[in-house]
Amino acid sequence: MNKAEIYEFLTSRNKQKKKSRTPARLDAIQSATGAILALFIVFHLIFESSILLGKEAMYRLTKFFEADFIFEGGEPLIISALAFVVFVVFVLHALIAMRKFPASYREYRRYQTHRHLLVHNDTNLWFIQITTGFMMFFLGSIHLYTMMMQPSKIGPFASADRIFSDGMWPMYLMLLVSVVLHAGIGVYRLIIKWGVFDGVQPQQNRLLAKKIIKWLIVFYLALGAVSLVTYIKIGYEHQEHYGERYHKGVKE
Amino acid sequence: MGDALNQKENQEQTFRTIEISVFRYNPYSKHSKPRFETYSLSETPSMTLYIALSKIWATMDHHVSFDFVCRAGICGSCAMVINGKPRLACKTRTEEFLDGKITLMPLPTFKHIKDLQVDTGSWMNAMSQKVESWIHTKEKTDISKIEKRVEPDVAQAVFELDRCIECGICLASCSTRIMRESFIGAVGLSRVARFAIDPHDERTDADYYELVGDDDGIFGCMSLMGCEDHCPKELPLQTKIAYMRRKLVSQAIKS
Amino acid sequence: MKIIYTDALIVGGGLAGLRSAIAVRDKGLETIVLSMVPVKRSHSAAAQGGMQASLGNATKGEGDNEDVHFADTVKGSDWGCDQEVARMFVTTAPKAIRELASWGVPWTRIKKGDREVIINGQKETITERDEAHGLINARDFGGTKKWRTCYTADATGHTMLYAVANEALKRNIEIRDRKEAISIIHEGDRCLGVVVRDLISGELCAYVAKGTMIATGGYGRIYKQSTNAIICKGIGTAMALQTGIVQLGNMEAVQFHPTPIVPSGILLTEGCRGDGGVLRDKDGYRFMPDYEPEKKELASRDVVSRRMVEHIRKGKGVSSPYGDHLWLDISILGREHIEKNLRDIQDISITFNGIDPADEGSKGWMPVLPMQHYSMGGIRVKPTGESTTMRGLFSAGEAACWDLHGFNRLGGNSVSEAVVAGMIVGEYFADYCKNTHLQSHTETIQNALEGQYEYLKTILTYNGSHNIFAIKEQMRNVMQEKVGIFRNGKDLNEAVVELEILLKQTREITVNDKSMGNNPELNEAYRVPMMLKLALCVAKGALERTESRGAHYREDFPKRDDANWLKRTIATWQNHEDTVPTLSYEEISIDTMELPPAFRGYGRKDALIPHPFTQNRETQIEKLKEQMGDVDRFEIQEALMPFELPNGYKDKNERIGEKNG
Ligand SMILES: Cc1cc2nc3c(=O)[nH]c(=O)nc-3n(C[C@H](O)[C@H](O)[C@H](O)COP(=O)(O)OP(=O)(O)OC[C@H]3O[C@@H](n4cnc5c(N)ncnc54)[C@H](O)[C@@H]3O)c2cc1C
Ligand code: HEM
Ligand code: HEM
Ligand code: SF4
Ligand code: F3S
Ligand code: FES
Repeated sequence: MNKAEIYEFLTSRNKQKKKSRTPARLDAIQSATGAILALFIVFHLIFESSILLGKEAMYRLTKFFEADFIFEGGEPLIISALAFVVFVVFVLHALIAMRKFPASYREYRRYQTHRHLLVHNDTNLWFIQITTGFMMFFLGSIHLYTMMMQPSKIGPFASADRIFSDGMWPMYLMLLVSVVLHAGIGVYRLIIKWGVFDGVQPQQNRLLAKKIIKWLIVFYLALGAVSLVTYIKIGYEHQEHYGERYHKGVKE
Repeated sequence: MGDALNQKENQEQTFRTIEISVFRYNPYSKHSKPRFETYSLSETPSMTLYIALSKIWATMDHHVSFDFVCRAGICGSCAMVINGKPRLACKTRTEEFLDGKITLMPLPTFKHIKDLQVDTGSWMNAMSQKVESWIHTKEKTDISKIEKRVEPDVAQAVFELDRCIECGICLASCSTRIMRESFIGAVGLSRVARFAIDPHDERTDADYYELVGDDDGIFGCMSLMGCEDHCPKELPLQTKIAYMRRKLVSQAIKS
Repeated sequence: MKIIYTDALIVGGGLAGLRSAIAVRDKGLETIVLSMVPVKRSHSAAAQGGMQASLGNATKGEGDNEDVHFADTVKGSDWGCDQEVARMFVTTAPKAIRELASWGVPWTRIKKGDREVIINGQKETITERDEAHGLINARDFGGTKKWRTCYTADATGHTMLYAVANEALKRNIEIRDRKEAISIIHEGDRCLGVVVRDLISGELCAYVAKGTMIATGGYGRIYKQSTNAIICKGIGTAMALQTGIVQLGNMEAVQFHPTPIVPSGILLTEGCRGDGGVLRDKDGYRFMPDYEPEKKELASRDVVSRRMVEHIRKGKGVSSPYGDHLWLDISILGREHIEKNLRDIQDISITFNGIDPADEGSKGWMPVLPMQHYSMGGIRVKPTGESTTMRGLFSAGEAACWDLHGFNRLGGNSVSEAVVAGMIVGEYFADYCKNTHLQSHTETIQNALEGQYEYLKTILTYNGSHNIFAIKEQMRNVMQEKVGIFRNGKDLNEAVVELEILLKQTREITVNDKSMGNNPELNEAYRVPMMLKLALCVAKGALERTESRGAHYREDFPKRDDANWLKRTIATWQNHEDTVPTLSYEEISIDTMELPPAFRGYGRKDALIPHPFTQNRETQIEKLKEQMGDVDRFEIQEALMPFELPNGYKDKNERIGEKNG
């Protein structure tokens, strides 16, 4: 083993006899990865909702992401690659953020008792955040794994079949609720954590940020839910033709 | 005007009965078991919990222990958990509780002494020593010469943070601290910020990093805002913790 | 039972105690500070108004210097103070504040240019000088010629105390809180240390040191109504008294403040009346103009307090479950003015009484009553801070009668005194500790410790019908009603008799909880007798002093009587069994005064019986000045009344725009 590491292990100081810079970096990475994921989701859910504009719109968008303007017919491996990158960020974020989970049952109990006594909004929000984070650990992984392994099976019918006929919709519903809440609260936390909108009236600005985030959460939940219902509907209508792919001019 | 006066006097004559439940336990006694003791007393106008508890102590139960010093909300002695919320008892009026029921508990996360008393003093001294809560300078001041000039606004900003009364409420309302007893809390972090903006102090960001640059310090804070929302002195904890975080992270990235 | 040895022992961790500890520690001595409460909770934190020091930075303070501050202080004291001490004080105060600034106290600073202020209800614009920009600002306070009171917004004492406490922590001074000193260990007239009770475990412990300092603050809580903190019970002063040797000085000199809020006793500053607020009685009638047609509500603190009590005695007080009170009305100033200039007052009133003083009409009136505010008296010490009668025992701050304040202290002079005394007395104290050897007096110490243990045990065995809480309430009522703002022979006589009875009754109580541990009932059982002894010193001193001086006002002797009473009252408690203190007097010599007694500046000019020597001294001074010719003020001062200061504290204080600073 590397000597420097052993020294740091024993003294909590690095070789300049200084406190380790790692916690600072971890903190920054945690926020950065969280922000990237949040940004990703903001667009992801919008793109996903293209189904509301019709199958054709969704199909075109899918093909666009497969870069059909370069590769004839699109290249699903691009999606695989993208999913892999997201997966890395996702895992990185989860690993780092997990430091903040209650480390033992005792800690968890103490937090719960305290939270119930205190009745304090932001403290309760944190509970939502760790719960949703924990859920996404599984749900997100499943989803991302699917996207990495079956990138070609994305499209108005393929997706709808997966959601309806493969019985994935409960998972998506849970994932939707988790990710929107988690990302929303996470972004609010980023704002106060780094003092983004402090300005001259930080308290008012905090309230404002909270309000805006609340409405964004409502908007995204609604958007996601409506999209999901649309997929379910398509899937229901399409169950007889399970596996058949969408292409321009297919019989509705 | 006469009417208003009469009204004022009338108000003072109808007293309701309130019930105060107090956590009782003496960890130093073998026979003591944790329990709540409930006292009923008649409420007088402008009654604060200081007045109520003193009355209970003097006339109902000479053995209940609690701490008050200034009874004016400036010394930080009387912080306790009042119906779940950490607050200064001397600044809490009983009439605020519409159902007339008040439950009092000692502040969590500090060493319990007895009943409502906890040992904030030793912890705060240790904290002050840990963050080296004093001016560091190489300059020698000649005290018979004119003092160093300070911009009025800067002095005011330092004062805003200097108003902390070490009551411990920020710690008691911080779930991070509740889970991890080694976390220094908003009081420690805002103290560092106080010196960081004081022009008398010559410490650099690297120096401050040595004091609170870890998960017991600035990187332990999860922005739960319990501190900000309960601090009885309304210190700008939110912005100053963010300020220190930005400073120390950029310090780490630079080095 | 443990014995702990150290070089220097300081009982009390307020401004005075902690600043002394720093002085001692800086001389390399091992130092322990004991305090009843965490030191940063000491009552020094309550001072809001400010600290006096003649910096002369602000425009309204221009021309200020030690001489002006000295004259204000001596006049304020009604010539009862020790002028040498006053000189030492005013010379060191500017250094104290500059030291505090370098320790980080965020003093409010001057912004150059125009600023609007309110003086006696009138808006005025003052212009701050360019060269003063960024220097320490000052505000106006009662009884001062110049604006001299430096401040940090509304939390001056707090910021000072924190800075000093943090400096103490920096120096690794041992601070032990929740420790109560209950008795002084001494062999003859030599102090060895104190017996201390741990307020968590109840354990007794002896702290033995080369030198011991008492800096335990005031004893306001012997009064029913007081602005003082709950812990200001004077236990430190009382334990000194109980040695039978240590002298207490001027215990009857007790200051009252006109407008603390009822029932909490929290201070509403003079600013309320300064800006034009008025006092009203139960009929809503503004009564002050009837009594003081000229100055009305703005007469001096003691005058207003007296008039208020007088009016309540006429049955014009508003009755409440907390006793009678009057109203303070600032609503007439208008909401805008209040929210801009009297924010703190509004805060206090809303928080503690649920009354918004800006509300119109009687809704916004705040209940007020004059209450005990400051204890001028205390442990009698020499200018070095050492007890006049016990070697190795020092005292500083409000606990001491160093005698800076005489019979009335000026606002802003006491936090200043606490720090300055810490600097000066701390230095002498350090020297004493350095030059003294710790001798073994094991037997004396052991006896003292066991004696206290036995005493507490005995209290637990008392089997009487009285209740210590009731006794305390009665004491506080007697003090309030009979030894209050107005005093007269008859009431004072009754007070002394009643207090004696109460003192005897403290041995006829029953303590239900027999635990020697953390037992709040036992705390009262040993504290109340000590408080009663102090109360008796105050009452007896007031009874004997047949004149009116400063805060001590006798209805039956309304004149200041320099001919007979230019002296300090000295109280001792000769025998353990005594029920009254023994009084004696210490002359205040006019021959060495820099400022011979004169008219104080308010009240009636004929309310004064002059001392025959006054004239003498005045001519002497005139002559001396003439002889010396054209020399600077320092030389004249030196010739009139030489004084000494340690540690370079006598260096001249630099000021902007002052040549020979
Ligand atoms: C409401 C209010 C406002 C004031 N405002 C001003 C102002 O604006 N300007 C001004 O100059 N002055 C003001 N004063 C007066 C001033 O605050 C005090 O006189 C001064 O702070 C006293 O300081 P000290 O160090 O002597 O005592 P304190 O600060 O009272 O400290 C006493 C210490 O002794 C300890 N102690 C007491 N008894 C024992 C014992 N038996 N054993 C161990 N420890 C013990 C206590 O724990 C404490 O640490 C004000 C006073 C009050 C009440
Ligand atoms: C590059 C990576 C990703 C790709 C390519 C991708 C793609 C898709 C696709 C195609 C769908 C439609 C349903 C389906 O076909 O199964 C979908 C739905 C969904 N995805 Fe992703 N996804 C990615 C990453 C993520 C991540 C990281 C999350 C959150 C943790 C997420 C959350 C969701 C949710 C909640 C839905 C349901 C949306 C709705 O309710 O309308 N996705 N995603
Ligand atoms: C396995 C999945 C995940 C887990 C376990 C997880 C866990 C956590 C936890 C515990 C926190 C709180 C950290 C703290 O309080 O300091 C957090 C913060 C955050 N998370 Fe996640 N998360 C996951 C996925 C995601 C996803 C998919 C997104 C985005 C859509 C996201 C966005 C954020 C953001 C923006 C923050 C705030 C960052 C910060 O406080 O520094 N997280 N996460
Ligand atoms: S920061 Fe606020 S809550 Fe925390 S100790 Fe200071 S005053 Fe109390
Ligand atoms: S409540 Fe705790 S987690 Fe941070 S923001 Fe305040 S210290
Ligand atoms: S007793 Fe001082 S803050 Fe409550």
